[in-house]
Amino acid sequence: MTQELRLPWDEDPDDLYEHAPCGYLTTLPDGTIVRVNQTFLTWTGYTRGELVGHRRFRDLLSSGGQIYHETHYAPLLRMQDEVHELAFDVVCADGRQLPTLVNSTLGRDKAGQPRAIRTMIFNASERRQYEKELLLARNIAEASERRVRVLQQIVADLSAAPTEAEVAESVVRAPESAFGAASSSIYLVDTERDQIVAVASTDPTTGNWDDMPRSSPRAVARVAERGDLHVVASLTEAKEHFPDLVDSMRRSGRNTVVLLPLTTGPTDEQAGIVTLGVLAFSFKGEHQLSDGELRMVRLLGQQAGQALDRARLYDDARRREERSKFLAETTGALDEVHRLQPRIRRLLDRLVPEVADWAEVRLQVGAVPIEEQKGSPAPDTELLRQRLGQVAATGEPIFAADPDLLDCSVLPLTARGLVLGTLALRMAPDRRDAAAERAFLSDLADRAGLALENARLYEQERQIARTLQRSLLAGDLPTGDNRFAVETYYQASGQDLEVGGDWYDAFLITVDKLAVVVGDVVGRGIDAATTMGQLRSAVRALASNENGPARVIEGLDRFCERVEPARMATVAYAEVDLTTGEVAYCCAGHLPPLLQEPAGSPEFLMHARSAPIGSRAGNTHRTEHRRRLTPGSRMLLYTDGLIERRSRGIDKGFEILAREYARRRDAPLPGLAAGLADTLVGKDHADDVCMLCLTLGTEERIERTIGADRMQIALLRADLRGWLVAHGVGAEARDAVLLACSEAVANAIEHGYRDDPFGMIDVVATVTADAVEVRVTDRGTWRGPIGDVSRGRGLQLIRESMDQVLFDRSDGTTVTMRRSRGEDE
Amino acid sequence: MTDQWVTFAKFGDAELVSLTGEIDLANAPEIGQAIVKRLQRAGKVLIDLRTVSFLDSAGVRLLDALVGDLSDHGTPTRLVVGERGAARMTLQLCSFREDVLATDLDRAAADLQV
Repeated sequence: MTQELRLPWDEDPDDLYEHAPCGYLTTLPDGTIVRVNQTFLTWTGYTRGELVGHRRFRDLLSSGGQIYHETHYAPLLRMQDEVHELAFDVVCADGRQLPTLVNSTLGRDKAGQPRAIRTMIFNASERRQYEKELLLARNIAEASERRVRVLQQIVADLSAAPTEAEVAESVVRAPESAFGAASSSIYLVDTERDQIVAVASTDPTTGNWDDMPRSSPRAVARVAERGDLHVVASLTEAKEHFPDLVDSMRRSGRNTVVLLPLTTGPTDEQAGIVTLGVLAFSFKGEHQLSDGELRMVRLLGQQAGQALDRARLYDDARRREERSKFLAETTGALDEVHRLQPRIRRLLDRLVPEVADWAEVRLQVGAVPIEEQKGSPAPDTELLRQRLGQVAATGEPIFAADPDLLDCSVLPLTARGLVLGTLALRMAPDRRDAAAERAFLSDLADRAGLALENARLYEQERQIARTLQRSLLAGDLPTGDNRFAVETYYQASGQDLEVGGDWYDAFLITVDKLAVVVGDVVGRGIDAATTMGQLRSAVRALASNENGPARVIEGLDRFCERVEPARMATVAYAEVDLTTGEVAYCCAGHLPPLLQEPAGSPEFLMHARSAPIGSRAGNTHRTEHRRRLTPGSRMLLYTDGLIERRSRGIDKGFEILAREYARRRDAPLPGLAAGLADTLVGKDHADDVCMLCLTLGTEERIERTIGADRMQIALLRADLRGWLVAHGVGAEARDAVLLACSEAVANAIEHGYRDDPFGMIDVVATVTADAVEVRVTDRGTWRGPIGDVSRGRGLQLIRESMDQVLFDRSDGTTVTMRRSRGEDE
Repeated sequence: MTDQWVTFAKFGDAELVSLTGEIDLANAPEIGQAIVKRLQRAGKVLIDLRTVSFLDSAGVRLLDALVGDLSDHGTPTRLVVGERGAARMTLQLCSFREDVLATDLDRAAADLQV
């Protein structure tokens, strides 16, 4: 370019113009180029001829530059006469764009009219590049910062997520917000079951989102095994490495899939890293992940892995705590019920639904196998039967495994080394620590086995005690003697307690002397029942024509010196002289007998009282009291279960007993004791109830009152029959009187009281030397002659069977019937 | 439960219904149902009342209805009442037809063969 070298301080101005380090343009005010230097021409590739006189400056600009020229450059220049550092891209001859900075000055003539524009153009290629890089760097920094913020939020979420499920929920949302992924799914590795389990997905419809074995050839399983981040950048890559992804990528329009293992363990070394899960996320279109993004992705994998690890430990700890609490509570709950069946039911109630959706207990011990189950659906019967047989034979548990057709765990119930039966249960599928679950079930079965065995032993003892007691009480009581009748009653506790030591007995000491006794041994269960039996025998052995009640009780005092459990038993004992009607009694710590004579109020026999048998601190000076009873008297001996209630004092109990007893003074003897028990204690009572009611002598006149209940006719008939027999009324007359009396009472119930179930019927019978007379009275309404054919037959029977029959309907109906006694027996 | 009062057996080719205990207003309807249920297609029927200790008009009504229904269906029936006893007394007081009453089982069974 330079013609010849000149000294630097001797520059040629033309050369300086032409080859200045910037471009010069001189244009007319309309922009037409009139002069241009060589530097500009060299930069742009134009020739001087192409530009001078032919092009305006703006013609050289890019289209954006042209607009900028119109809106900024030209107006500014006209206003200020100069502009500085305006950036324009100059379009070169070959179409290249040259970034430039432009300074221009507007020269004016003397009239102030624009005359020429001088423009200096700097090559800004380098500067633009630099600026672009600066901008890019800033963008990258911002994106990275955004990702970091998103990740920080995720890490914060993760540390607050206490369970595996919540960790999974947090992690699965991360790729969308952090990396702009289209969707993501999370899989967890279950080493116990050798499975990879799909747990959460932002879009479960994409991909084949389901569980797989750890050995599966599928991409997720492979990445889980290798523990390395894997980016499948395109369909081509997928085809090559993970064909299972191709279909789903194609279907859901994904071109890039990232498979990120969620790992825990030391971050700097490969060994010791454990993969807990895999996060898979995908992008629409091919998505190039920057190094920064990849670093973030890896970081996410580590953070999520650690959170998962923490949550698992936490889950396990909490679960262990829950399980041990459950076991303790179950043991406590089982202890609350003593009997076998209720205990089995209690166990099943604890298990279903809290632990299992179905559970079954089978016990093979005892005469009758027990089988109880709860929950649904019940498993296949045949499979279960086989499994139960296996477990019962080996005594080893078989736990539900994957895959298992039966899907139930079966455990032996053992106690003292013996297999008592089996516990089978189906638990909700659980991905947690299977070993811990097995330990839990084994512990449960051990406790259940022991609890059920104890209940079975209890049941056995209870049954033996019950049988023993029944057999002792079922002894033959004297009957068939017209001079007395005995009614007994025993009702076991309604609260599933063990048998008590209550007993009654009646026996003839001689043909003319009857002994009656009611007693109560301290304690419950088989010991009490045995002791009761011994005491009962002792009383029978001690009673004799010479010994009175006091001597008998003294004998019992001596007896308990050798039979210790009999100590402190209470006994009410009475001897009745059947010829004179004299009764002698003695109460050793027992409740006073209750006497009802035919006339007057009931009376507690409060004499001859002393301390219980063998008492050391009490008064054991035994005495007896005698009194003569009028025929028809009734004496009730009973145990404390009849009157003692927690809800009322014993005085109140005595009062109610006396009142109820008086109310039934005319009730037939059969059923009297049961009726009293019904009224005084009801069905749900805490203690056993034992009663003996003695009716003495034969009333000259029998008076009974019964309710208008057809069931009571038989009881009345039994009483009346005994009375007729006692008076020696012949069989034929007896049957006739019974028939007539029954029909008269039936008539009162069906006719007089047809609208009144609470009506009462009085029956009075008297016997003379030659006849029996019966009067049946109701206070019902009489509504004209009886039309009913069958009741008509009843009336006919009354008339046919009796000699004289009289109906009085002035107030209710009174039937008076009389029949000769016929031949005495 | 009526088992305590009524049991069923065969006596030769006849259906034997044995009643025992007290038959009255309280249990007669129940006993009647139990018997009718059992005797749907019986060819011959013997009703043994010898151990019945009491029989009232409700019992009579039951037996009357039973014998009546069986006769209507052409089923020969006998009531065995023994020589004496509560059932015989009540039935005689009600003037039951002598031809349906028999004193012992063999004779009643023989009657039905004719």
